[in-house]
Amino acid sequence: MTSAEGAGRSSGRRILIVGTGGQGVLTAARLLCDVFVDRGHHVVSGQLHGMAQRGGSVQSSVIVDGGISPRIGRGRADFVVGFEPVETVRALSFLSEQTVVYLNVAPVIPFVLGQQYVLKEGDGRYPDVEKLLSCVRESTPHVHTLDATEQAKASGSTKALNMVMLGCLLGSELLPVSAEQFWSFGEARLPPALRKVNHAAFYRGVEHSRSFHAGVVAS
Amino acid sequence: MAGKHEILQDRPGGHLCTLGNLAIVRGALEAGVQFFSCYPGTPSSEVGDTFARIAEDADIWFEYSINEKVAIEVAFGASLTGVRSMCSMKHLGLSYASDPASTMPYVGVEGGMVIVSAGDPSLITSPNEQDQRHFSRFLYYPVFDPATPEDARLMTRYAFELSEKTRLPVLMRPTTRVCHSGGMVELGALPAKRNEVRFVKDPTRYVPIPTNAKRMRMELSDRFRRAEEMLASSPFFPRTGGGRRGIIASGIGYAYVSQVIEDLGLSEQMTLQQVGAYPIPESVLLSFLDEVDRVLVVEELTPLVEECVSLAAFRNQRSVEVFGKHSGHFPIENEYSPDLVEDAVRRFAGLGARSVPSVDVPALPARPPVLCPGCPHRTSFQRVREVFGKKTVYCNDIGCYTLGYGEPFQACDVLLCMGSSISQASGIARTTGQRTVAYIGDSTFFHSGLPALANAVQAHDDITVVILDNYITAMTGFQPSVTTDRCHPVASVRKEDEVHRENGSPFSIEDAVRGLGITDVFSIDPFEEGTAREALKAAKTGRGVNVVVCHSPCVVNDRRSRKEQRPVFAIDQDACNACSLCVRQLGCPAIFVVDGEYVIDQDLCDGCELCADLCTRDAIRPVAAEVAK
Repeated sequence: MTSAEGAGRSSGRRILIVGTGGQGVLTAARLLCDVFVDRGHHVVSGQLHGMAQRGGSVQSSVIVDGGISPRIGRGRADFVVGFEPVETVRALSFLSEQTVVYLNVAPVIPFVLGQQYVLKEGDGRYPDVEKLLSCVRESTPHVHTLDATEQAKASGSTKALNMVMLGCLLGSELLPVSAEQFWSFGEARLPPALRKVNHAAFYRGVEHSRSFHAGVVAS
Repeated sequence: MAGKHEILQDRPGGHLCTLGNLAIVRGALEAGVQFFSCYPGTPSSEVGDTFARIAEDADIWFEYSINEKVAIEVAFGASLTGVRSMCSMKHLGLSYASDPASTMPYVGVEGGMVIVSAGDPSLITSPNEQDQRHFSRFLYYPVFDPATPEDARLMTRYAFELSEKTRLPVLMRPTTRVCHSGGMVELGALPAKRNEVRFVKDPTRYVPIPTNAKRMRMELSDRFRRAEEMLASSPFFPRTGGGRRGIIASGIGYAYVSQVIEDLGLSEQMTLQQVGAYPIPESVLLSFLDEVDRVLVVEELTPLVEECVSLAAFRNQRSVEVFGKHSGHFPIENEYSPDLVEDAVRRFAGLGARSVPSVDVPALPARPPVLCPGCPHRTSFQRVREVFGKKTVYCNDIGCYTLGYGEPFQACDVLLCMGSSISQASGIARTTGQRTVAYIGDSTFFHSGLPALANAVQAHDDITVVILDNYITAMTGFQPSVTTDRCHPVASVRKEDEVHRENGSPFSIEDAVRGLGITDVFSIDPFEEGTAREALKAAKTGRGVNVVVCHSPCVVNDRRSRKEQRPVFAIDQDACNACSLCVRQLGCPAIFVVDGEYVIDQDLCDGCELCADLCTRDAIRPVAAEVAK
């Protein structure tokens, strides 16, 4: 990899995927692992789902051609794929100035906010999304935002959110697997009924990513 | 069924990226495991769930046992007939099974036997953290402590051989981060030959009455020494790097430290020693101590390796400085992280602390676990609270229903361990003179609630036991419980069908409870408000022990096979006066408050109707089902 965005690593590519239970984070991580293994790479991954369930915080790491540790240290993520703004900010300590972030700006509102509101334990509001984005931008200049939930919906289902996000990551051309290689591997492993939707969603992500990165080069 | 599970592939030399728990299964398969039993518990559950899926293809005797004590005893019985057996559980399960586990090394196994007991440092899904590595000294178990899935595979395979050669049961002890991490595993050969099934009667060998046990005690020491010798020549104590500064590490700490050493560029200046098993052979420690002057010990929980290193140095007059927990480089509590390890290694290597840029972050809302929309436990809690009120003491138990803790249900005033709700309720009812409620699920009830209930009957305690029967062990990932209908798919039993299923599961909670002499037994469907309330009122005014069995399937499991989608609900904003009752009382994750307006997320709503029943203004109504979700 020659891109300046990825410089400063000691070994491997460390990818962190964050979101909430039900958004497809774990499926995305699993697919990513499988495609790298299929193409002969060494992969370790970590997940923490403990008591997390639908709506809980989910973090999953995928480390390609690195060592044996499944967890990423402070400031050592090369890529953060944020399915949700609050969850991305929760993962801020993993970012450095070199980290490339793909960030879905559509929030998943925690239902507890309603409870806090009626119990007068808080104002019941989700944090200001612009403020969250600026926190991420303060950590690294390489932040690419999009409304991936909207993109998934436009592709046919919000369930395809994870494919939009994977499209962003793989469309970057910063990883040793190309978007096309990923799709030809992944398509057989996804539910046939959603193949069309997933395909559209994935390539929407890829297109976005390519235009982001083209923009970076241009400016 | 679509082909064999990937863990069964016969492709020696091939590679797979798989979870630590599945690597354990693979190791056992490569060792020719023939018998498997378990009780689920995070983070161990995928071991059993994988065996459940492959048992038929792999020709393995399999069971989800009633509890961990039984699981161990069943597997031990199988081992005495010569077969290789395995059983798995979480750390708390091994505590529960410690009675049989403590005498098994005395009696000794025939076919190799490996117990998997997964640890949970940091109490991610447990009420305590334990260091089961102490089973090596406490009860004479060889214990394996993998750092990676590949370690887990190799150690499990080797553990069967070690077990058979020493006749000791062996403990495989991964922690959450190993169980649930994916890593590269090399596939070994699957054996064609398996142990023969053969039981030879020999009571002097298998019956630990004191006369025999005294002899066994002496033999046990010999067998344990032999295990230590075998471990000394095993591949589970690798040493890399070089230099007079040494790091000795175990478990996931070894994975973290090897990454940190690489990131800091210290590979050439540090001697790194892994500890993969216990007892740590003295020869391993001495040859490590020969190479170093200063040692940093990296291990989670108790300073076991640290004390072994210090003791070996002291006994053999080696002058080394030992750093770890005693020196304050690491805490005794909780799991380690790559950052914690990096900070300690920097301090040990004399490098400055790492500067981390700080960013001001707004307060972030938490996303705590909650009962799912439509969960029958929510309805049961609601019904019981209406009748028993706020003053009653509620003892709760281990399962999804522990989420009755706090607002809005206040259904968990005390909690301890599996089955404890009933016994704690006995103690509280007896001394306070107040009728006390115990909540317990179907799987937990048969796990360890039955003896407590018999005890309460014997003492004539004024308790009401509310058994929440959702036909499944939900929290650990939908393993069948004894009330799971084995004749039909679990999910096909709808509450409308029948509360007393006549052709379903062979188990009847009601029959079991009546068999203990309890006459006041009420079967209810919590969603049927009228009958539920009547039964609870009768229970409240009753004398002695009574039992209310709430039958209703786990909604998540049920939804998978539900033929018709139930109508979902919406709130009519014109009728809603924002009284907040629905949010305040139900804690349903489908109901939100957006800019002061109460709304139901129809993607999340399950159509249980509880909120509609509760609403005093009739503002919550079903919406016509549009497209299938």
